[in-house]
Amino acid sequence: MIDIILAIPISAVICLLLFGSIDFFWKLPNAGGVSGSNAIEKAIENTGGDKNGGWMIANIVTSPDASAGTLLAACGFYIWGIPGAIISIILVYIGARICADKGYAGTSGALAATIVIWILTTFAGFPQESFIAGSVIAILFIQGISAKYASRFIGKIWRRLT
Amino acid sequence: MIVEGICIVIAIYCALRAVFERNTLKKLPFINAMNFAVTGTLVLLMPHPITIGVALAYFVGSTLESNAIASTFASRENQ
Repeated sequence: MIDIILAIPISAVICLLLFGSIDFFWKLPNAGGVSGSNAIEKAIENTGGDKNGGWMIANIVTSPDASAGTLLAACGFYIWGIPGAIISIILVYIGARICADKGYAGTSGALAATIVIWILTTFAGFPQESFIAGSVIAILFIQGISAKYASRFIGKIWRRLT
Repeated sequence: MIVEGICIVIAIYCALRAVFERNTLKKLPFINAMNFAVTGTLVLLMPHPITIGVALAYFVGSTLESNAIASTFASRENQ
């Protein structure tokens, strides 16, 4: 069993890489999903942010994407193990459909997070609650510190990958 | 206890950032991060199977609100 103080930063990095790669796979920084995300992207761009990074931040705000899938799968897994995680996956899909999103990013994010969390808690001895704190810290770095610098950072990585 | 503490501190920090940000559309990312933290806190403080539904209802509802606020701003700009 890994100590919780050590497990939280490691799980934050794992969550960031997990939902970052899934959001990039579903091309979230490429365009705005709904009209509202274009408005948020413009507000971020007007204050010196990046276009692609702004779209990714705006898409995360306006619909439950892989980041939300990661958090909710972690919550379901913490409460009820694999059945709880499966309930979260189904509810994330329904939630994404309510928000006029196709739901691919959220559902695949929750599914991937369930598999990763199951492997790390069963075989590597991570405490289950460390992934809840980890995904909250990971989203804090993207949304909560500075939209300007986070969007520039995301945009730089996105242009390097494409 | 430390996990709950981290989530609560992040929720309060993001709420304060959202209060002191002047542009409404730029408040929304902070509110989104706050929603993540509040969802995590709900689950950590009440570990019961029904809490999965509660946490998801809260999260999806708040995301839908952000979506609605941003869409309203977008349509107002178009007019």
